[in-house]
Amino acid sequence: MSAEDAHNSRAADRFAHRQSALTRLTHAPWFGALLSILLVGLFLAFTQPVFATWANVMNIIKSNSVVFVLALGATYVIIAGAIDLSVASLAAACSMVYGLILVAGFSTVPAIVTILLLGAFLGAINGFLISYVRISFLVVTLGTLSIYQSFALILNSGTSISVYSNPAFKPLYAFVNGSLGPFPVILIFDLVLLLIMGGILRYSAFGRAVYAIGSNREAARLNGINVPLVVMAIFIIAGLTAGLGSLVQIGRLTSASADVDPTILMTVLAAVLIGGTAFTGGEGGVFGTMVGVLFLGVVQNGLTLSGVSSFWQGMVSGLILIAAVWIGGLRQLSRRRKQADRT
Amino acid sequence: MRRGDVFIEMKGISKRFPGVRALDSVDLTLRTGEVHALTGENGSGKSTLARVLAGLTHSDGGQILLDGQPVQFQNPADAIARGIVMISQELTLAPTLTVAENIFLGRLPRNRLGLVDLPRLQREATAALERLNVHVPPQTRVSDLTVELRQEVEIARALSTGARLIILDEATSSLSEAATTRLLSLIAKERDKGTAVLMITHRMPEIYAVSSVATVLRDGLLVAEVPLPATGAGELVRLMVGREIGDFYGKRPIEPGATVLEVEGLSTPDGALQPASFSLRQGEILGVAGLVGSGKAELGQALGGAIPSHGKVRIKGKPVALGDPRRAIAAGIGFVPDDRKGAALMLVRSVRENFALGWLDRLSRYGLLNTRAEARDVGAAMKDYGVAASSPAVPISTLSGGNQQKVVLGRSFTRAPSVLVLSEPTRGIDVGAKAEIYRLLQDAAAAGAGVIMISSELPELLGVADRIAVFFQGELRGIFDAAASDEEMLAHVAVAGQLPDPPQPKDGGPA
Repeated sequence: MSAEDAHNSRAADRFAHRQSALTRLTHAPWFGALLSILLVGLFLAFTQPVFATWANVMNIIKSNSVVFVLALGATYVIIAGAIDLSVASLAAACSMVYGLILVAGFSTVPAIVTILLLGAFLGAINGFLISYVRISFLVVTLGTLSIYQSFALILNSGTSISVYSNPAFKPLYAFVNGSLGPFPVILIFDLVLLLIMGGILRYSAFGRAVYAIGSNREAARLNGINVPLVVMAIFIIAGLTAGLGSLVQIGRLTSASADVDPTILMTVLAAVLIGGTAFTGGEGGVFGTMVGVLFLGVVQNGLTLSGVSSFWQGMVSGLILIAAVWIGGLRQLSRRRKQADRT
Repeated sequence: MRRGDVFIEMKGISKRFPGVRALDSVDLTLRTGEVHALTGENGSGKSTLARVLAGLTHSDGGQILLDGQPVQFQNPADAIARGIVMISQELTLAPTLTVAENIFLGRLPRNRLGLVDLPRLQREATAALERLNVHVPPQTRVSDLTVELRQEVEIARALSTGARLIILDEATSSLSEAATTRLLSLIAKERDKGTAVLMITHRMPEIYAVSSVATVLRDGLLVAEVPLPATGAGELVRLMVGREIGDFYGKRPIEPGATVLEVEGLSTPDGALQPASFSLRQGEILGVAGLVGSGKAELGQALGGAIPSHGKVRIKGKPVALGDPRRAIAAGIGFVPDDRKGAALMLVRSVRENFALGWLDRLSRYGLLNTRAEARDVGAAMKDYGVAASSPAVPISTLSGGNQQKVVLGRSFTRAPSVLVLSEPTRGIDVGAKAEIYRLLQDAAAAGAGVIMISSELPELLGVADRIAVFFQGELRGIFDAAASDEEMLAHVAVAGQLPDPPQPKDGGPA
């Protein structure tokens, strides 16, 4: 290669990078959802003046924090080509245990650590059965969905436990509901969590292994990835985020409840899929998941503000999920076709 | 109708895909009782042309004349109704149905009540199979058959529809040497009965075995229609690649060094591989031949730790723990599996990530990935292994089969393992890329690796390997010096388990 060629090719590389920076946004699988948020937001801002207020936007973020935290863990699971149906039940179990140990006199930090460990442990049960006993993830998590829910009900005979007046709860309450200037603390917490979870996916060998297992399990195994261990770790992470989600939930509700909101699991999975993480595994990321959570949150908020009965919300979220994944698939197809032509 | 009558005439067929001209005014004439070879490198447009003919793709321009009448195929059913049947490398049988049901799929014989006439189905299926000399009970479920038998069932189905034109799209790519021979004799028989055959392949021996004319495409253009066997293989390859490939295999002498691999009694618990023992020296290329199911594939998988196995494997004197890919990699074995899509590539990920998949341990410290080192190493590897991609960020699925395989090989080669175990490294890639891969694996051998090349193609083993191990029914039946072997004798061992009787040593290498 002559010096001039080298120079030209470097210039071409630079150009290619600049171009990709420009097109990367529009090519991102979550771009459609982001655009939709803006359009829906614009529409709501005009029709419902309350929508565009700072308080309302922060309210959307606060009320979707639980879903967001659960969805981060679910993103890992789905990228790896699996699915965890048990997260909502797992969170309910963690929630009840938190209520009981607070009543039993645990102080703030030991209680939180216990719940995180419990979440990780319940996730590890999922992971162990899937990885080492080799039972299908659908069967295992469908089973534990029922088991963890039942466990949560048994713990206090189905009655919820108010922790509002418990002094050990106060710091958690302050954290979840507090503000730093105009920003809710929980927003900062969400963003930090997003950075950590995204960073692990993108910049760690473990993150690469998650993608590798989702896109080709056998190729991952043959290239030296300890597939069972990584899968187990992914379910532990999902359990950990479910435990974390349960703490956020209690912080908002000020009581531990064994009732599992039946829409939570659907919302979590829908957010991940709307965010461009494919059910088939190997693709996606946590940033898209954030976009997905926000999209569903904005729509839900808009429906509430417009006075639409909450009975309609499930129908709308369901339609959005199907449409978003369908459109995402079409976009991907056309992009692949274009790319295939170029090479 | 007499033999040699024009059956199909394709005139000026053009097909554009956005941004690329797949076919540019291509003509093709098919006659009854004639095998017409359609050949060219991957991406030359030969499959697109066949798909137009089979009604799977619509052309943008040109016309098709059938018995002199213009026809238009809207869908495969139209083509099938006119007697055009395509058999592709991707099998189209329904695996959970029986052989008989598959043969008569969509046209099952009915009785007076409108229900399936099972006795007649059985009878007619048996007849259809017997005509082809395929010995499969018609009530067997297709999923219980080997790939080779499935291919033959597929052919039985095609023939039982009374096809006038059979299109074989790389139909032999998943077949062993012996099954290929059987398929070719079937084709010859059908040809002699007056069926027209269009055979898409880039395997030279097949082209010469049955075809009397070949059409060569390159970059969507018709390069030539040449008579066979009057046109030599060298000339045909030159037409395909558009340049002279002097010595296709580029075999160079490499001085073997110390023994790097010792295998003693390596076997698999399911018996697919019976205890095999051999050794390999640095710089040596050991070819492994055998039919499908001979145990040659299992040998590679066992060495790579992909399947459980028993026995002793030592690398440079150190024992290797079996049955775990991680241990095999750590011991210095680089295994490239034969199933590129199923076991080697992450199709939805980029070229960069596909390379780095094999280097995660080297690219990370305390679990954190050094993306700068990754970019550097991937860039270097793309250059070293000649991967043609516009950027390391493009999805690997957009690359040609040859380029994908270079990524898979480069991933292993870069680690400079002591022993490379390559299973069918040139399967399904075009001639030009094959020559490059032969060069790459000789480079690895020259750099001191011991190379095991498992292949179903004897010519490439004879062309590249120093010694050739032949497997038969799970057993290692012998290791032969490549320079003193020829295709016939190795094929005999692969098919019959022993050398022809009386064993007569033949001198000279392959022609």
